[in-house]
Amino acid sequence: MREIRIGSVHFFSLVLMFELGTALVVNVGMEAGRDAWIAIFLGCLVGMLVYTGYNYLFKLYPDLPLSGYTRAILGKPLGAVVVILYAVIFLNGAGRDMRDGSALLVMAALNRTPILIVAAMMILSCGYVLHKGLEVLARTSFIIMVGVLLIGGIITLLMFFSGEMEWSRLQPLLGDGIKPVALSVIRSNYMFPFGEVFCFTMLMPYFGDKKRAVWVVPSAILAAGLIISFTALVNITVLGSDMVERSPFPLLATVSKAALSDFIQRLDVLVVMLLIIGVFFKVAVYYGAAVIAISDLFNLPYRTLIIPSAIIILFSGMLDSRSFVEHLEEGAEMLTFVYPVFTIVIPVVLIIVAAFRNYRSRSRPG
Amino acid sequence: MDGQVLKLWKLLAISGLLLLQTGCWDSVELNRRAIVSGVSIDKGLTEDKRYSVSFQVIVADEITGKNSRGNAPVALYKGSGRSIYEAFGNASRQSARILSLGHSKVIIISEDLAREGIRDLMDIFERESDMRLSTLVFVSRGQRAEDILSVMTIFGKIPANDLVQKLETGNRSFGYNFRIEVDDVIRGILAKEGGAIINGVIVKGDLEAGGTKSNLEGIKPKAILKNAGLAVFKQDKLMAFQDGTEGMGLSLIHNKQKEYPLLLELGKNESATFSMFKVHTSVTANAKDPEHPVIYISTQQQAALKEYNGSLDISKSSVLRNWEKLLSEETKKEIDAAVKAAMRLNSDYIRFNETVNRVNPKGWKRVKGRWDTIFTQCEVHIKVNTLIRHTEMRTRSLKSSGEGVE
Repeated sequence: MREIRIGSVHFFSLVLMFELGTALVVNVGMEAGRDAWIAIFLGCLVGMLVYTGYNYLFKLYPDLPLSGYTRAILGKPLGAVVVILYAVIFLNGAGRDMRDGSALLVMAALNRTPILIVAAMMILSCGYVLHKGLEVLARTSFIIMVGVLLIGGIITLLMFFSGEMEWSRLQPLLGDGIKPVALSVIRSNYMFPFGEVFCFTMLMPYFGDKKRAVWVVPSAILAAGLIISFTALVNITVLGSDMVERSPFPLLATVSKAALSDFIQRLDVLVVMLLIIGVFFKVAVYYGAAVIAISDLFNLPYRTLIIPSAIIILFSGMLDSRSFVEHLEEGAEMLTFVYPVFTIVIPVVLIIVAAFRNYRSRSRPG
Repeated sequence: MDGQVLKLWKLLAISGLLLLQTGCWDSVELNRRAIVSGVSIDKGLTEDKRYSVSFQVIVADEITGKNSRGNAPVALYKGSGRSIYEAFGNASRQSARILSLGHSKVIIISEDLAREGIRDLMDIFERESDMRLSTLVFVSRGQRAEDILSVMTIFGKIPANDLVQKLETGNRSFGYNFRIEVDDVIRGILAKEGGAIINGVIVKGDLEAGGTKSNLEGIKPKAILKNAGLAVFKQDKLMAFQDGTEGMGLSLIHNKQKEYPLLLELGKNESATFSMFKVHTSVTANAKDPEHPVIYISTQQQAALKEYNGSLDISKSSVLRNWEKLLSEETKKEIDAAVKAAMRLNSDYIRFNETVNRVNPKGWKRVKGRWDTIFTQCEVHIKVNTLIRHTEMRTRSLKSSGEGVE
């Protein structure tokens, strides 16, 4: 495990693909109406801010994952409890994202395919990649990132040339003031998808070039923020904010409008591909984080945990709700009340304790 | 030995996985599908048959030619029900193949249904994952919507495609109908102060003969599909059809008209006809006082002289300058007619509400609730700027030369 080294470019692409993940295709920040794209961008900035906290901990313990330094900071017993909680939230995150992805896929394209089959296929491929190791995951992300950016480029060009975009739909800018935007950021936007970068605290020790790590992750968050924000902007200019708001899968509707006369049509399949790719990385990273946390805590070999975790993820994802509506309801509550505990509250406690200890140990000799 | 067993297992596992590769849960073979090219919705006869929906289905064999029996290229399946989907189900039962809506090009709504409101029936076209938002919407003017779908057409075998092409060709140079898709209609309905705009369509000629092959046998078609006016709505209820100058003005306000013809009466049987092109309209507002907003509509256009039977010497730029003014006046009249019509109907489908909201969002919130009274009092300034670049292939007209000889 220890000799894993992920290069900066690959780490960048992994973070980027993780952040784009489902956020690119689903409805993000639409509480802010036509200003959603601003809310997303602000959320991204907040996400970067949150990351600086993780960065501080990473600098103190460059060779330990979150599960390691939590125990170093809080002491073994308390630390172990916290790590178990983290493992659970990682598994839950993977399960939720898998459910998100397979539900959308079933809604939009595979109407009659059982959702369990779709989800099982996804978790199988994620498990396979993790079995091959984190480096493989990171390299895969790089190759696929090139493809995703190409798809994005094609779609963007088509949207511009098809003349479906009406910029006036963005106006009036901040017509209801900054309040709904701020509310949307506070409620969920900074957390989904930008706060979710907390899984990378488990992967940071494998970063090859520790010095560059400080910049790579925030720049990937920023890039993802710009891309998602731009996507929201395109959705709104094409469909109008009301229709985007009522759509669980707005990019699909947007792209279905793109056509160059009768020649190029039906690019929806590209969006479905984006969805599948995004979900894959989202699930794989959460899943990987969970596996590393468990193996680190219980000193179990990494590979033997892959299958049990997959089963937990698959069934927790499938059994968490009866319908997609219920799933989203739950998701909104998780984002507002549960995730912040793990992405902000606990890390802040860790930072305070670590800083305090650091201060004491430094001042003692003097 | 052990290695061999392992290999065997691997082989078995792989072949097992291969088995999964063959199937797609949702696959429907093409020869089990019937592609729906158009959907029409009429008012049903009774309460529990609220909608009567017809589906124009492409008969693939007739299109490709090889197995063609020489029959109609499309067939109409009809069903009725309390909702569109129920009607769809009833229609599907008559078909040997699965009706698939994914490729439908047009949705036609009958006028009497549109007058009652179309909010309820648009939902399925937005929600259903098979349907595309880019499907075009029409209102059948004074006729049953299913009649529109049962006309044999001259160009192309599929009537729905013919309708789409007519719309596009028309919009390109002469007509004032423009592409109006499902999402445009939905946005129109959602605007509380405004309403949707939908293209009107009629069958001109003999409805009975239109549905048979005899329609195509003669040189003069017995029935022809035709775009007819723009249906304007107050929210989701049809108010009126706008034709002629009003229709053209409406299309101009929405900046959908790139080219259109314009005739200048120059007195005593003299006239000049132009093709206007590179037309661009923008609408802004001064809404410092949202109670009395001032709307500015400004149009830029170029004109090409197509026909002239007068005796003026048009190699002089002063003549052309005068004509530019007259043309601007003429365009202004068209836009003004459209604005007046909207105010008369008291439905803001010309989207002044959005314009005001854009320039003064706070003020807009104050007046939003009583926009219908403010809208009709809006002060509207129309500015048109016309440029005649040249007079095409001749300078003076035939007539002026003839007079010169006498």
